[in-house]
Amino acid sequence: MIYVQNREIVVPGQLIAEGNYRHLEGSFREGDRIYSAVVGLADIKGDKVRVIPLQGRYVPRVGDLVIGVVIDTHSSGWILDINSPYTANLFVSELVHRKVDLNKEDISKFLKIGDVVLAAVKEVDEYMRVLLETPERGMGRIEGGKLVEISPAKIPRVLGRKGSMLKVIESKTGCTLAVGQNGRIIVWGDDPRMVNLAVEAILMIEREAHTSGLTDRVALMLEGGKSEGK
Amino acid sequence: MEKPEKLIVDGRRLDGRAPDELRPLKIKAGVLERADGSAYVELGNNKVFAAVYGPREMHPRHDQQPDAAVLRCRYSMAPFSVEDRKKPGPDRRSMEISKVTKEALEPVLFLELYPRSVIDVFIEVLQADAGTRTAGINAAAVALADAGVPMRDLVSSVAVGKVEDTIVLDLIKEEDQFGTTDMPVAIIPRKKAITLLQMDGHFTKEEFKQALDLAFRGCEKIYEVQRQALKEKYAIKESG
Repeated sequence: MIYVQNREIVVPGQLIAEGNYRHLEGSFREGDRIYSAVVGLADIKGDKVRVIPLQGRYVPRVGDLVIGVVIDTHSSGWILDINSPYTANLFVSELVHRKVDLNKEDISKFLKIGDVVLAAVKEVDEYMRVLLETPERGMGRIEGGKLVEISPAKIPRVLGRKGSMLKVIESKTGCTLAVGQNGRIIVWGDDPRMVNLAVEAILMIEREAHTSGLTDRVALMLEGGKSEGK
Repeated sequence: MEKPEKLIVDGRRLDGRAPDELRPLKIKAGVLERADGSAYVELGNNKVFAAVYGPREMHPRHDQQPDAAVLRCRYSMAPFSVEDRKKPGPDRRSMEISKVTKEALEPVLFLELYPRSVIDVFIEVLQADAGTRTAGINAAAVALADAGVPMRDLVSSVAVGKVEDTIVLDLIKEEDQFGTTDMPVAIIPRKKAITLLQMDGHFTKEEFKQALDLAFRGCEKIYEVQRQALKEKYAIKESG
């Protein structure tokens, strides 16, 4: 038995389903009933019930792509702010992909305080101690680009289904985007006007994340913005 | 403040309400730009803001809990919130209210999801007319939900009391001061569980039961307004 409509806005403690359903993020079970734990959109697919949150801090999960800012160094690596209740640790060897003799090499040449780093979450333990790694090309210290910060709960909308929204922004503006799950996005582009337009689009998605038909409206807005002032 | 001759005349209270009637209630969620979650509550002449920050890193570090988040509450009254200027800063009364507010809200939060962190709740009373702690709890519950903190339910709160041998809901200042009893109650509406119950004055056993029942009914009404406030924040506005 389902008590709400799909995509309906629910609030904490609201009854969503009763009976044989599985509860995923944003919801919890009490006996036979599944309730919402957050303010969000109820999403029911088959026997799976979840609530897509509309607000909330970023909680690191293994495999997430994040954009961090170096806030401190220690003898063998750096501490990064990842826009979360928890800081993350990045070791030199994870950044440069080789063994580093800390007695011989000065690690301050790799990263400084304030540097922006694109990385993946390698490990999160039960005390929420976070380890980062940079296994792919393009990860590591970021140069150039514009850093945008939005609510982490709205990142899925910036990506869109199978990355559709991201593709729209990238193709319409000619910019390249790196989207961190922690609510930070980097926009690279040659034309500053196009970079600003991409930023506008991201902020528009953040404002209207809970509405439907957003991809089309963003595409329309980008088209309008492109022809303006030409 | 002078004592009015009679607090209840022909079944009507000083402000014209029936004994089981709430004051006009207005709740708005997400009012503060810089807070992670916030709410504004107007209950009659009470005007209360609540701001939530977090979950965020806990400082000082030794107050961290390795397996759960810590909830910190601060209730504070603005110097201009009452007739005679209130000396700013924490005092005995506001520290007590901060503590009971924290304990009233704690049971609904999934604190175990955010080990080592802290959730800060600031309740600021701009205008007071009795029942500010209950208004503060109502605002804090909405602000916590607005911040996206996972919760089992909201918390709703109201005061009941006895004025000239009548059990009344949601006391105003005159009733609080010259009445016999004031009893603030906070509940988890879905489970009908009490998370705060204080009493100043006295009730007989029968009166207590009657008052508690009245408080539950009042909380139900407040609960509905709280839920509406949260949904309204995201209601799709007609574009025009």
